[in-house]
Amino acid sequence: MENLHIEETKYTPEINLNAEKGLLSFSGKSYPENTFDFYQPVIEWINTYFAEKGQKKTLIDMDIIYFNSSSSKLFFDFFDILEEAHEDGKEVTVRWLYDAENENALEAGEDFKEDFESLDFNLIEK
Amino acid sequence: MASSQDSLIEELQNFMDGDLERFQSLGKKIIKDFKRQQRIMEQSDRRQRKEYDQLQEKLLEVEALNDEIEATQKEVVLTMGAIGESRSKETGNHVKRVAGYSKILALAYGMDGSEAEMLKQASPMHDIGKIAIPDAILNKPAKLTEDEYMIMEEHAKLGYEMLQHSKRPLLLTAATVAYEHHEKYDGTGYPQGLKGEDIHIYGRITAIADVFDALGSDRVYKKAWEDARIFDLFRSERGKHFDPKLVDLFFDNIEEIMSVRDAYKDILG
Repeated sequence: MENLHIEETKYTPEINLNAEKGLLSFSGKSYPENTFDFYQPVIEWINTYFAEKGQKKTLIDMDIIYFNSSSSKLFFDFFDILEEAHEDGKEVTVRWLYDAENENALEAGEDFKEDFESLDFNLIEK
Repeated sequence: MASSQDSLIEELQNFMDGDLERFQSLGKKIIKDFKRQQRIMEQSDRRQRKEYDQLQEKLLEVEALNDEIEATQKEVVLTMGAIGESRSKETGNHVKRVAGYSKILALAYGMDGSEAEMLKQASPMHDIGKIAIPDAILNKPAKLTEDEYMIMEEHAKLGYEMLQHSKRPLLLTAATVAYEHHEKYDGTGYPQGLKGEDIHIYGRITAIADVFDALGSDRVYKKAWEDARIFDLFRSERGKHFDPKLVDLFFDNIEEIMSVRDAYKDILG
């Protein structure tokens, strides 16, 4: 399976999806003009990834400083997929990275953690 | 925008010919999605309000810092001007009055508000070059000899040389003012002997403001002139020492100019 790399822009995060390493990372801000279109290839890639069998552990690094409401919706959908994969018996770990000085990023991470209780969801100070 | 709701709607349509089990499963999904939308809104609203508060707070900080920088700049410039003046026993109020007159004339001439304000802030430095002139010449209570006069005249170029290396528009404006405020409209001034509109507008304005204030103040070598005598001189120097347009604007705005003079009167001790 091919890796997916999306460069960071002023309004969108850097995204690195690496099937071989089982590492999915998001870093930056998320204010896309059309959030659903922007994340569609990402969601497709992740669906394909989890549909395949036999992958090792999957680590998801989320280092998102600021994001808009529709990105929030997409993250929920994304965590749904992770939760399903987890219920499917796959090993999935989420690391929500935040800067100590960025209270908002921490609070957003706490909200997600609360909503996805069954996920191995970790809040990690950078 | 396409969204996951579209696929729910599609599924709902498929359900038309589906069974009860599928109906229940779809119903659960829809309820979950509705509840989630509400939760996302609440979370986003809370987050955005916080971010907005933080931005406002930062903006206020930046504005306060900006005010601080501007106030410091004004004070430093006035102090520099006053240092130049103090060496020649003139008062700090002289530079404030010249600044005030300069802005009035600049606005009347048609300069925009921000440039006129910059000239106001820069004009106190017009005599900064005097800090390099020996006290014996600067404060001589008698007429200067020709040689002494030549040294005294150097203050214009010296002031320019002190300020011209700056990249700050304010100090560059001050450099022009220092260099050209002793030029005369008919070309008989110093140090370059520039003529007419070859003299920068900053120089022409500061010339009239500086002379008006100098004549109206007591100096070591002379008493203050009566206003009528100053006005006669200005009329006779219209187009000679001074830009004729500026002399006209000076008289057009005389009330405002006098109110600046009253506001910054020298307090005699």
